[in-house]
Amino acid sequence: MIYDELVGIVGARHVAQAPEVLEAYSKDMSFSHPVMPDCVVRPRNARDVQKIVQLACETRTPLTPVSSGSPHFRGDTVPEAGGAVVIDLSGMKKIIRVDRPNRVAMCEPGVTFAELIAATDAEGLRLNAPLAPRQSKSVVGSLLEREPVLIPRYHWDISDPLACVEIVFGTGDVFRTGSAAGPGTIEEQWRAGSAQRASSGPSQASFHRIIQGAQGTMGVVTWASVACEVRPRIEESFLVGSRDLERMTELLHWLVKLRLVNECLLLNRANVAALLAEKWPDSCLEAKESLPPWVLLFCTAGYDYLPEERLDYQIKDIRDVCRRVGVDPVPVLSGIPASLFLDVVRRPSAEPYWKLRERGGCHDIFFLTVYDKLPGLMELMAGLAGDAGYAATEMGVYLQPIVQGTSCHCEFNIYYDLRDAVESERVRELDRKAMGKLAAAGAFFSRPYGESARTMMNRDAATARALTKIKAVFDPNNIMNPGKLCF
Amino acid sequence: MALADCKRTMEMCCRCSCCKFIPLERIEGYRYADVCPSVARYNLHAYSGGGRIGMAVGMLEHRFEYSDSFLKVLYDCQMCGGCDVSCKYMMDMEVLDPINEMRITCVESGRSLPVLDRLRDNLRAKGVMVGTAAENRWAEGLDVPDVEEKKTKVVYHAGCRTRADQEQWNAARATLALLKKAGVDVGIARGELCCGGRAYEMGYKEDFLKAAERKTDQLKRSGAEVVVTGCADCFQALSVLYDRFGVKGGVEVLHTTEYFNRLIKEGKIRPSKRLEVKVVYHDPCHLGRLGEPYIHWDGREIPGHIRLFDPPKELRRGGRGVYDPPREILTSIPGVKLLEMGRRREYAWCCGAGGGVAESNPDFAAWTANERIEEAFSTGAEALVTACPGCERAFRSSARKHGSSMKVFDIAEVLGKAI
Amino acid sequence: MALEKGVYRAFEDIVGPDNISEEPAILDAYAWTGIVLKARKSLAPDTNEDECGRFALRCEAVVLPGRTEEVQATVRLCNNHGLKFKAFSTGWIGGNMVWEPGVIQIDLRRMNRILEINEKNMYAVIEPYVIGAQLQAELMKIGLNCNITGGGSQTSALPIAAHWGTGHTAHSTSNGERSLLALEWVTPQGDVVRTGSLGSTGEWFCGDGPGPSLRGVVRGSITPFSGMGVYTKAATKIYHWPGPATFPIEGASPSYRPSEIPPRFIIRYFSFPTMESRAEAMRQISESEIAFELMGFPIAMIASNMATSNQEERELFARLSKEVKGPGFIVIINGSSDREFAYRTKVLKAIIDSTGGTSLPAMEDPAIGGAQMWRFIRITASIRETFRATGDHSGVFPGHNEFVPVVRLARDIAKVKRELQKKDLILDDGAEAFPWTEEYGNLAHAEVLYRFSANPASLDGVKHLNEESVKLAVNERAGVPFFVTGDELHDIFGPAASNYHVWLRRIKKAFDPNGAADSGSYITARDE
Repeated sequence: MIYDELVGIVGARHVAQAPEVLEAYSKDMSFSHPVMPDCVVRPRNARDVQKIVQLACETRTPLTPVSSGSPHFRGDTVPEAGGAVVIDLSGMKKIIRVDRPNRVAMCEPGVTFAELIAATDAEGLRLNAPLAPRQSKSVVGSLLEREPVLIPRYHWDISDPLACVEIVFGTGDVFRTGSAAGPGTIEEQWRAGSAQRASSGPSQASFHRIIQGAQGTMGVVTWASVACEVRPRIEESFLVGSRDLERMTELLHWLVKLRLVNECLLLNRANVAALLAEKWPDSCLEAKESLPPWVLLFCTAGYDYLPEERLDYQIKDIRDVCRRVGVDPVPVLSGIPASLFLDVVRRPSAEPYWKLRERGGCHDIFFLTVYDKLPGLMELMAGLAGDAGYAATEMGVYLQPIVQGTSCHCEFNIYYDLRDAVESERVRELDRKAMGKLAAAGAFFSRPYGESARTMMNRDAATARALTKIKAVFDPNNIMNPGKLCF
Repeated sequence: MALADCKRTMEMCCRCSCCKFIPLERIEGYRYADVCPSVARYNLHAYSGGGRIGMAVGMLEHRFEYSDSFLKVLYDCQMCGGCDVSCKYMMDMEVLDPINEMRITCVESGRSLPVLDRLRDNLRAKGVMVGTAAENRWAEGLDVPDVEEKKTKVVYHAGCRTRADQEQWNAARATLALLKKAGVDVGIARGELCCGGRAYEMGYKEDFLKAAERKTDQLKRSGAEVVVTGCADCFQALSVLYDRFGVKGGVEVLHTTEYFNRLIKEGKIRPSKRLEVKVVYHDPCHLGRLGEPYIHWDGREIPGHIRLFDPPKELRRGGRGVYDPPREILTSIPGVKLLEMGRRREYAWCCGAGGGVAESNPDFAAWTANERIEEAFSTGAEALVTACPGCERAFRSSARKHGSSMKVFDIAEVLGKAI
Repeated sequence: MALEKGVYRAFEDIVGPDNISEEPAILDAYAWTGIVLKARKSLAPDTNEDECGRFALRCEAVVLPGRTEEVQATVRLCNNHGLKFKAFSTGWIGGNMVWEPGVIQIDLRRMNRILEINEKNMYAVIEPYVIGAQLQAELMKIGLNCNITGGGSQTSALPIAAHWGTGHTAHSTSNGERSLLALEWVTPQGDVVRTGSLGSTGEWFCGDGPGPSLRGVVRGSITPFSGMGVYTKAATKIYHWPGPATFPIEGASPSYRPSEIPPRFIIRYFSFPTMESRAEAMRQISESEIAFELMGFPIAMIASNMATSNQEERELFARLSKEVKGPGFIVIINGSSDREFAYRTKVLKAIIDSTGGTSLPAMEDPAIGGAQMWRFIRITASIRETFRATGDHSGVFPGHNEFVPVVRLARDIAKVKRELQKKDLILDDGAEAFPWTEEYGNLAHAEVLYRFSANPASLDGVKHLNEESVKLAVNERAGVPFFVTGDELHDIFGPAASNYHVWLRRIKKAFDPNGAADSGSYITARDE
């Protein structure tokens, strides 16, 4: 038990052992089995982090990094091993830099979307952010999880918008990825005009890719630089409603391919209602019934260069595309203004978190796939939900083109009453069954969490074996979140 | 020019692999991007233009013996010049010449292919590559003067391949018929000597030079002002090689396609019969890219960090060969729809017969020809028309071997049917 | 060291007798690099070759596998017999170089298929010997395009073949590292790993996961040059192409030109009075997202590209140099609709007017500009700019970072180039850096290219330039440059850059415990 040493690093105020605190970190909203950590340490800065990791290394103490505030949903922040120390970085809240000319911001892990959006807004920049993240969600955490983002046009690579990170590997060594690696300290690089914007490298490996998706199993990230985009001068958004999923994905394909739109996402009516419920004067149920089954939201924008003319031509071209596809984009759909909806999806969610508003609980099943597979996967999931006694119409669906349209993030949001043990168990069973069946039908669980993670990892033994080699390089003592993924 | 004289040009090779493909600007799809049959078939880099250049430098540096395997690589090459054209799209260097010098060096070192030696021996003994000079059965029954007995303005040179291959006689006969119809004062040499061109490409330079002198004498004796031939190899030898080596004599050299086109434009022959057929035209290497006029240059390289010459040196890059006359002939025939293959003109795919390959590696020659036939089919053409007996033999043999329905014609045959 | 007969036969059993050779002449064809090795420090560890030698070492044998299974078997055989392997696709500029005995060259030429073009999901799956021109030509037929490496479309279309994979259209089509989706990879020990969705579902759309991404080890901003095994198939992102299915080219080599510039396409070369004004114009064009291609070609390179011979190049360079005001760039604009094109050209004009750019008249000529445009889209004539002068060429590649530091580093390296030009050690073609932007200006890349005639004095000069470049790169904090490969350079830059070399060595050791994958242009797993 390294409590005393931890106190020596960060001070007693930043090390917690109170049972209620440990209990809070022992579980989350996933179905992960609760495991009580030994203590929770809150580093103040990167130096603290390094010392903590070095200590954990010497003492073979498992470390579970956490950067977002609660509630947590995926199980990655719940220790798998006994005797673990949770290293909670949510208190590291420095926004280190916002660099308008290079379109990049740099922040510590505790910075939330609301905080960073405010900072980037002030500099005329904006983030390519995920869908309505919760208020407590860490930007760095989201980037490390490879969460899908709303603007596929600026999603050149799946690692975007992450640029560089500073990490303390499981060996206790500090490392900086991409152009941040050096030569020079970060401050020297700034003086030289560098901005830690290039993610690949340094040299013949792209270390940031090994760190993303790792669920904290390689090390602890102490800051990240995030690519930003120029904030538009003017925007106009539209909604398209339809019963026809294939028509919707056809539209998505063309809008993204022709780079006509910025934010661009497809939701089923359950999710539209869930997102907007607080904004409605009427109930969520009424909202669902008035909406078409599928709602596509997209936004087009003009920037600093003849913005009105840009907007004008883009809207006309979009209308041409919509005519070819056979849909009609409108600024208001079923009484919902597209602009209002846009504002909701790209800002952090109002409290309570939109996924929890309706029933108090939500379990997400998400994967990557291609457009052609979606109808089959939808049908499969609806069937599985039905078999589990869950009404498919109650389930939220979120489809997000990513990496400039090369794949699609598909997310099923299963809303349920957390307090209802029977329902909870049903959802858990649905999760277990669904992941296996969906994977067999071609869903790619690129970010597997929780109970099924190991199963998903082991579907590809060769990859798992290769990852184990990488793990042995960066965390030879297996102190970093052991038990997660295939480690 | 000896191989050592090529050192500087060979050192220009940067191993970019462009010599394996048609000029990049002309690639229109995945298929039919290759220009070099040799590397396309055998895949080892050594089989490419750049690969052979590397070996050539190795020869100069005495890095290896001239083994049988090495000779195989060297001679599994149709000497088509596709690599040369593709390289010269970008570079100021020679590719085909050094490869030819490699063969010459091997021959001079006593290392050559026995099957090709037999052709050389026949040339030495009988003045032609195959058969005898006196064999002119293709002309039996034709009322055409022997230029050894009666001088004519134009002499038609059939070439060894035509004379020795009965399936090519139609083309020769059609040629004479067309020339006579046009009122051309044409004769043939009943003891026609070989031009020697193929010997040069096989590496028998001295034999070529001797054959060239003999041929030039024969042409001089004929008193003809123009020699016209339907063989692309012969055309290239008579017009380019002879010029290069200073044995040309004063006679004008024309390919039959050039001459027919001239006659059509002068109204002396009129294609009037309708032929409803979709055809593609295959550009013979020696009529096209290798048939470009020779450019003499005598000067020096200016030392410096960019290769410049005094006086400025113009390279033969393949674009000025005979490409349009055959096409104009075909499009002048009513009903003929001329389609184009993806690889054409200076970047045409070889028929497979050249460089001695038809003799030394008939399977490879057939494979090369078959690739071309498939390409012809891909256009929707019903017939493949060309202007060289070597190409025609290659295509006909390959079509037969592979059971292809593609019809193969010499352009003289097609034109003859339209008169 | 000749292979033991039994070992040779074992390789022969894998690929067939037609697809292997140990014939010295054939191996010399492979050893021929065509470039003066002393000038290419980063690609060419010290050899005993003569000063101007262009031959690398002969390998023990060259094998040409036709399928992944044959690659795997070959790699395993190398491991079993203590041999190394060097795999390559087109094998240009060091891609296939061998530096020590006991290496088997794996020529991937027979693996040359386009396996899939997925229009809806914007990716293509290819084998290593599909060249950029082939892939682009097929894609253009269906309104799509791909990124092509700047060296030319005769190189592999694989986004992980060699070097960095940035090219002329990176401004809108990104670069190799970021275009890679799923990958089939034979590791140095002979395991077949299929990354991302390929391993889990058999589909090619994603190269990352599950969990951390193996894309992190298979390449970085530059590739491992076979040091991490063999890449046998890969999916690459593809992009919308608003142009014609085939470019309407006519003419004869080397002077091809389009019969017309396709509708909604324009090419211009603008020069600027200062580097700053050019940088500002590039920044604005980037942020306005109007360009298909944006490359800061020095006028010397434009002249080289246009000219069909060295003679013509010198004349053209002399003439065009007088027509430019200073540093410049090529910009190609296109549009998916008339409206889009109209908007983009209007914005371009406004930007150029505001930054003081001057249009080069030659590029406004449809015949000249059109020909240039196609050469810059198909990337056909980079070799005119580099190797045509003397066959000897090299360059310093500062790398990949933000515009300001990378251009400054290139500018400072160019000053050293100028010194060499004054001493007549390299060709005097101006001493400008050559920068361009990627992903609408998110990233930038720059190069300093030079041409020379190989002689001892010039090689000493080039050596000096390379050494100064290393010092400048370390001092100027512009990231780890692209010329850093091999133990020696990694040992210089690593300590200055988070000791990445230590991690790279550990990765190498983890995946290649037997040291079977040739590491001459990567890093060896020697003890720390």
